[in-house]
Amino acid sequence: MMGPGTAWYLAVAGFLFGTGALGVLVRRNPLIVLLSLEIMLNGANLALIAFARHLNNGDGQIFALAVMAVAASEVVVGLGLIVALNRKRVPLDVDRLSSLRG
Amino acid sequence: MIYGAWICLLSPLAAAGLITLGGERISRRGAGYLATLSCFVAFGGALASFVGLLGRSGGQRAVVSTAWTWISGGSYRSGFEVMIDPLSVFMMLIVAGVGALIVAYSIGYMDGDNEERRYFAYMALFVFSMLLLVQGGNLLILLAGWGMVGLSSYLLIGFWHDRPSAIAAAKKAFIMNAIGDATMALALFLLIKKAGSVEFGILGGQYTSTVATLVALGLLGGAVAKSAQLPLQTWLPDAMEGPTPVSALIHAATMVTAGVYLIVRTHAIFESAPHVADLAAGLGAGTLVVAGLIALVQVDIKRVIAYSTMSQIGYMFVGVGLGSYANGMFHLMTHAFFKALLFMAAGIVIHALADEQDVRKMGGLRQLMPRTYLAFLIGSLALVGIFPFAGFFSKDSILAAALDHGAYGYVLWVAGLAGAFLTGLYSFRLLFLVFWGEPSPFVREHFHALKRDVVGVSLAVPVAILAGLSVVGGWIQWAPLWHPIETWLQTAAEPTVSPRSWQEAVSSALALLLGLGGIYLAWLFYGVRRFAVPRFAFAQRVLEHKFYFDELYDALFYRPTVWAAKSLYRWVEEPLIDESSDSLGQDTRDLGRLVARGQTGLLRTYALAIASSVAVLAIVFVAVR
Repeated sequence: MMGPGTAWYLAVAGFLFGTGALGVLVRRNPLIVLLSLEIMLNGANLALIAFARHLNNGDGQIFALAVMAVAASEVVVGLGLIVALNRKRVPLDVDRLSSLRG
Repeated sequence: MIYGAWICLLSPLAAAGLITLGGERISRRGAGYLATLSCFVAFGGALASFVGLLGRSGGQRAVVSTAWTWISGGSYRSGFEVMIDPLSVFMMLIVAGVGALIVAYSIGYMDGDNEERRYFAYMALFVFSMLLLVQGGNLLILLAGWGMVGLSSYLLIGFWHDRPSAIAAAKKAFIMNAIGDATMALALFLLIKKAGSVEFGILGGQYTSTVATLVALGLLGGAVAKSAQLPLQTWLPDAMEGPTPVSALIHAATMVTAGVYLIVRTHAIFESAPHVADLAAGLGAGTLVVAGLIALVQVDIKRVIAYSTMSQIGYMFVGVGLGSYANGMFHLMTHAFFKALLFMAAGIVIHALADEQDVRKMGGLRQLMPRTYLAFLIGSLALVGIFPFAGFFSKDSILAAALDHGAYGYVLWVAGLAGAFLTGLYSFRLLFLVFWGEPSPFVREHFHALKRDVVGVSLAVPVAILAGLSVVGGWIQWAPLWHPIETWLQTAAEPTVSPRSWQEAVSSALALLLGLGGIYLAWLFYGVRRFAVPRFAFAQRVLEHKFYFDELYDALFYRPTVWAAKSLYRWVEEPLIDESSDSLGQDTRDLGRLVARGQTGLLRTYALAIASSVAVLAIVFVAVR
């Protein structure tokens, strides 16, 4: 079986992770932040699967499944929070949600 | 016989316990009757012990009964022992006898007070403590009784606890006495160290003169504090804040004479330290003159009598300090009679005048209360030592003993004679001021006579009995014609002086003349008022301030202590301790504020922190590999 080498997969995974991280850091809409977080997780998943293939070991795939489950739950909680914020008519801007400042 | 002693000791304690535990189930008057009864039972026990001792020959008149071993450790052990010997039986008879009369008197005097039960419980407790003191079979029990009479005295002086002055007086008495208790305890520690025991017998042992002097000084300190002698005398006049029967029982007849008893009981150690014995006599002589002078200007009827008490105890100290133990104890006995009589007669006057004690408001009571006047007159005559009343016999023997003690004795003798003159002057000044002349407006307004009910009888009968004793009590011993008390006490304390007949005669004659002279002078100034009372502004001021002893102690001890406490607070407590705990808290908070600045509340900073940390970790991970 041929195809692109593992390095390519890792490059794509790193790109996905970096894009996600950038989105988390610079975007102010919590919905987008959440979305970027998902992209980061997917980058990590891709890396896990690539390594699983590379090492001929199924553990990485199991990890990826677990991460997906966590990601799904996280999205539920995060979206729930965002909806709740919206209901309270709180502005959807992470820079203004700073009441935890010391 | 020994059962008599135990009954004597325990019956007042039982009464105190019953009254305390019975609470309202015992009526107020019932408490009074119970306390009185217990004291009479105690007197019966004392009589039984006395009769028992009489049946024995001289050498065997000391019986010790041990209830249990109280403290034992190593080779040291001391039991809870009572001892009856001629000296303790002598004291038991006085304490229980006079005590019973005074408690009976209290039934009338305290009638209508709100807290009669508490009063009678305290009184019974006092009688128990005093009996414990005189019956104690070793020095430790004696010290226990010593402390407990101090406690009872404190409780009774402060009995009217809603008067700030009474509370202050109670505290003063307790603290002054605590000084004496402490020196006594130190003396005991030294004895235990040197002799390993607290039995009375070890006092006669061989000690180096330093040890003997220190022990004697410690014991003398206790005696001086309890007996209100110079320089620890200032508490006694203030103690008059207590109810009058308390003054009669504790601060005249029994407790304050405990110092005299102590010196006689421990005479062996004083004989090995003759300088301390001389010091005791000297302090006594000083006190008797000083107190006599102060009594001249006091205007509170009870305070005058209190100063005369100090003065008379001064005589006893002179007597026992010189080694004339029987005479000191004899004077203790007659003094208990006539001083209790004077206090109780004064109590009747105070009672009849709606609790007024200022003699300047009194006068002319002779017509209104002739029998009280008679009692007071008898008491005063006995106090001055006029033949044939009690004081004549006992006081003059002490003076004669002083005459038999060399040059130092002459000084004491002169002081004693001066005291006799002063006694005549101040006691009859009081008598004339209160009873002679026309009734003052205050008296006319407030006087109400005693009725023939329980109150009246309870007040009158003990006074009458004591008046009788003050007349005849002195005849028991008339040195050198007959001296049963000296013979009786010989086995307990052998006198070291034996005045000759001419010394007795000279002392008696001079003391009698000087006493009469004092009375005559008082009569001129206060009785018939032939002359105006001379005023010496300076002397008056000094005497009214009681020779500035209170002010001296205030300046010497009280103020420095307060100053030290305040400066410690200001220079140590506030800047060091208080400040350091404050700044500890403050600094922690400041540090917290500093750290809290990192908590921006912005999601992106947290995310950046995490991301950069991970990046750094990754780089380190890669680079280190």
